[in-house]
Amino acid sequence: MFKDLRSFLKKLEEEGQLVHYHDEVLPEPGIRAIMRGSADLGATGPAVLIHNIKGYKGRKLVVNVHGSWANHAIMLGMPKTASLKEQFFELERRWDKYPGEVKWVTGAPCQEVVLDSFNLLELLPMHKVNEHDGGFYLSKASVVSKDPDEPDNFDKENVGIYRLQVQDANTIAMQGLPFHDIAIQMRKAEAKNEPLPVAICLGVDPMLSFMASTPIAYDLSEYKYNSALTGIPMELTKTTDGFLDVPAGAEYVLEGEILPRVRVPEGPFGEFPGSYSGARQQVVIKVKRVTHRTDPIFENLYLGRPWTEIDTLLGLNTCIPIYKQIKETMPEVKAVNALYQHGLTAIIATDSRFGGYAKSVAFRAASTPHGISYVKNIILVDGDVDPFDLVQVMWAMSTRIRGPQDVIVIPSTPGMPLDPGSEPPGMGCKVIIDATTPVAPEPKMRDVKMVGHIPEAAAFQKIISDLHQKAGCRL
Amino acid sequence: MKCVRCLVGEASVVAKAPDGSGAWEIYKCARCNFGWRSTEPESITDPAKRDPFFQLDKVDLNNLIIPCPIPPLRS
Ligand SMILES: [Zn+2]
Repeated sequence: MFKDLRSFLKKLEEEGQLVHYHDEVLPEPGIRAIMRGSADLGATGPAVLIHNIKGYKGRKLVVNVHGSWANHAIMLGMPKTASLKEQFFELERRWDKYPGEVKWVTGAPCQEVVLDSFNLLELLPMHKVNEHDGGFYLSKASVVSKDPDEPDNFDKENVGIYRLQVQDANTIAMQGLPFHDIAIQMRKAEAKNEPLPVAICLGVDPMLSFMASTPIAYDLSEYKYNSALTGIPMELTKTTDGFLDVPAGAEYVLEGEILPRVRVPEGPFGEFPGSYSGARQQVVIKVKRVTHRTDPIFENLYLGRPWTEIDTLLGLNTCIPIYKQIKETMPEVKAVNALYQHGLTAIIATDSRFGGYAKSVAFRAASTPHGISYVKNIILVDGDVDPFDLVQVMWAMSTRIRGPQDVIVIPSTPGMPLDPGSEPPGMGCKVIIDATTPVAPEPKMRDVKMVGHIPEAAAFQKIISDLHQKAGCRL
Repeated sequence: MKCVRCLVGEASVVAKAPDGSGAWEIYKCARCNFGWRSTEPESITDPAKRDPFFQLDKVDLNNLIIPCPIPPLRS
């Protein structure tokens, strides 16, 4: 397992999943073209370390680190060929190991260099992630902050990824949305007219980026979850003022505070639904000190039209909490695929305890903490359908849906403000599509029998594949 | 220099290529906070060629959505 970004990059390189780009590239549009191109390589694409950015000579940038399911599997310590379903159940198994142990170290690598004078736009090889972004964004930064009323409550210390527009040498505008954990802390600090200290951590270990973008309960610790998932104690150190806890192995830590009761124009920004969110009035962070490792590597992420790195990063960590929460009271649920736009569309495989049960599962999904605002389109399939295999899902939809009974729209529910279909932003609807087979007392569909699986096929798949390769096929 | 997006605000240099190459400068508007680099294409840096959808010249910035409104002061 990987205690920092560097050890993960080393492993990716050994596995052939990291490439180096040495030709000179312009920050715009060169960097986003590299990001887009590597994301378009799909489930097996590599991370790319960019060495020669015009004007930023000597600065390194790594992109697409979580950009493929192969890299995601390596993050989990699995073979890079592990299927999505295998990765889902491996994560699901480790989830129950919460809380893991954390430990504090001194003389941490992230503080090898301490800067009190800096210009963030020159220190970091910043670039426009999408053409019409309102400025230069940190798109993969883990922001650490404490509950102002309980600064000693470690479990309430929050680590979250929020979009950050670096506006000048030491000013960053941040998007916090009302349902984000940091918004709770901002509200408390602003009500007291006090600044909220934050530490912006760049280039952290891959599982922490994963956890920082996972919707977990407010009083659960991302750091302890990280240890639970990696199986090694998360190494933390104190910020230089001794207040916040940050990953000891981070490449950069920007120490600062959110100014109370101030809002400034920020945006637009190309967001995860593949659309630009407009300019907004957002909170402001003043950065006071920067610490970094020797020869630091800046990490950033592309998001836009799917599939991109953010879809992989937010993929299974969106699925697992929803699955766990439904499963608590509905053990018939087999798996949840909420990979699409952070769960705006979710596919749930479930057996039916009795007639109409799948629709109850949908109501449960729509009322999980993440589901309330995000989960909009809910597709139910039978328990023996793999929800990660869209061919199977389309088959279930093609053959099981009876429009009048199985397609339900519930209007005027909460919605996700960044969803272009959310109008006004924050309002939405729930669309339930029940593609499960009816069970009693619901009347049966026409008396049809589905064609069964062929258990002998797996062995022949291997034989035919070997023959195929001998015949000259290179896959 | 006037801002290329809101056409009203005053934009100033906030960064220069740190390797001393003079490859580019970054400007920022003090009013709408738009930031851009001198080497971006004209579709971003020239107001006449910018996509009108992204212009903020006819927008009252005070009316932009405030996702997290400022709460009342607690005594
Ligand atoms: Zn402006």
